[in-house]
Amino acid sequence: MEENNQMTYTQAVTELEQLVQKMQDPQCSIDNLTAYTKRSKELLDICRKKLTQADEQLKQILADIQKTDN
Amino acid sequence: MNSLNDIQTQQPQGMSLSAFNACIERLINGEAMLQNQWVIAETSDMRLNRSGHCYTELIEKDAQGVTVAKVGAAIWANNYAKIYHKFHDATGQVLSTGMKVLVSVSATFHRLYGIKVIINDIDPSYTMGDMARQRQEIINRLTADGIIDMNRQLPWADVPQRVAIVSAAGAAGYGDFMNQLQGNAYGLQFYTCLFSAVMQGAQTVPTVLRALDRINSHLDRFDCVVIIRGGGATSDLNSFDSYELAATVAQFLLPVIVGIGHERDVTVLDYVAAMRVKTPTAAAEWIIQRGAAALGHLNELQDAVVGAVRDIVSQAKEHLAYFTSMIPATARRIIDTNSIKLDNYAGRIPLVANSLIGNQSNRLDRIGDRIGDSVTRALQREQQRLQALDDKATLLSPLNTLRRGYSLVRVGDSCVTTAHQLHPGDNITIQFATGAADATINHIDNQQ
Repeated sequence: MEENNQMTYTQAVTELEQLVQKMQDPQCSIDNLTAYTKRSKELLDICRKKLTQADEQLKQILADIQKTDN
Repeated sequence: MNSLNDIQTQQPQGMSLSAFNACIERLINGEAMLQNQWVIAETSDMRLNRSGHCYTELIEKDAQGVTVAKVGAAIWANNYAKIYHKFHDATGQVLSTGMKVLVSVSATFHRLYGIKVIINDIDPSYTMGDMARQRQEIINRLTADGIIDMNRQLPWADVPQRVAIVSAAGAAGYGDFMNQLQGNAYGLQFYTCLFSAVMQGAQTVPTVLRALDRINSHLDRFDCVVIIRGGGATSDLNSFDSYELAATVAQFLLPVIVGIGHERDVTVLDYVAAMRVKTPTAAAEWIIQRGAAALGHLNELQDAVVGAVRDIVSQAKEHLAYFTSMIPATARRIIDTNSIKLDNYAGRIPLVANSLIGNQSNRLDRIGDRIGDSVTRALQREQQRLQALDDKATLLSPLNTLRRGYSLVRVGDSCVTTAHQLHPGDNITIQFATGAADATINHIDNQQ
């Protein structure tokens, strides 16, 4: 989970796109399905969180910059 | 009307200034060529006084920028509103200092205030053309420098959530932008930081450049830059037609969104920025739509995952069903195929057997024939050999030897072949070819 927390949106969405591509491949084995689906769900959650949940630390950093520079 | 020379002749002692100025006044004010004349000039030091009269200087500069002609000018209050709106409606700009203008003027001379030209009318199309020419010159220079497309070619973040804003802190446009962004309908999070700048007048370029310089020292904190201005009255946009500012934006390392004007206003910045929108609200909306598109993309990916799982499972089921249905048919086919093969083999066995038996029979016949011949030959050979042996036996038989005159001496049943076997007085039997005789040994001579 530590690794997931460090992921950027771009990294997460790129991995997700690659995973979907693998799953859509006719050669995709049913044996991999559970692992792929589980990882897809994790990545979707990471991406949605990045877009819609506030990063308070980042907010504070930018507020400090604004205060200092203006 | 008296000429100046006539006056001098009549007044050799000198004339009053007012009389002199009255002459100038009559000359200038009466000269048709100096009335309603269209003149190309540049405005300078333009100001509006309390009574609504607008004063300016009309100047002309040479190629080096040196002023080569200058005259004071005025737009009377009763004409100013008409000229102001005519110019503003056509150009979107406020008539102000530093503009190239084509104006209809009349020269007037007042004996107290001197000469002044009165601006009666203005042709905004000339100013628009001049602004466009200046803008084109800057664009050409940016193109020649190879930098005009640089900002537009920068990659965008998937979702530009961290936004550096260059704007005037209290401007309505900034407020519009922030309200739009923070109140977006998708629940998207944006992180903004304002870098204040003056967005109109002479301070525009230096303050915007300073703001960009400050952003440049925090590049890794942001995904894009937004330069916005708007709300309230449309004011001077000329400040943004600056080569220095455009070159800085073009070469800036983050994509720049420009939203500083309205529909009709175009500045050089619009040609170099990665994205040009009309208003601050539109800038915010554009960023929100990037986020909305990302959310939409996530939904598509989620659907794709669900669809892929469904397809794979369904395909696996289909395979299983197919194989299940195929087993009886396949087994039947294999049995049928092998049955036919067996039938074929069964049909061929008698033929092959007959053929083999025939071949072997022939072979046996041939062997039989050869055996008969061999036996006959062997019998003949044996017969011949037996005959030869018989002949030899006949030849060697004791009877034949006896017939030739030899006799066989026996003592009892034993044949006597040497004299040593005998002793005087022994009774012997002498066998002849025909008949025998008994005798007694008288003397023995053992000598050979």
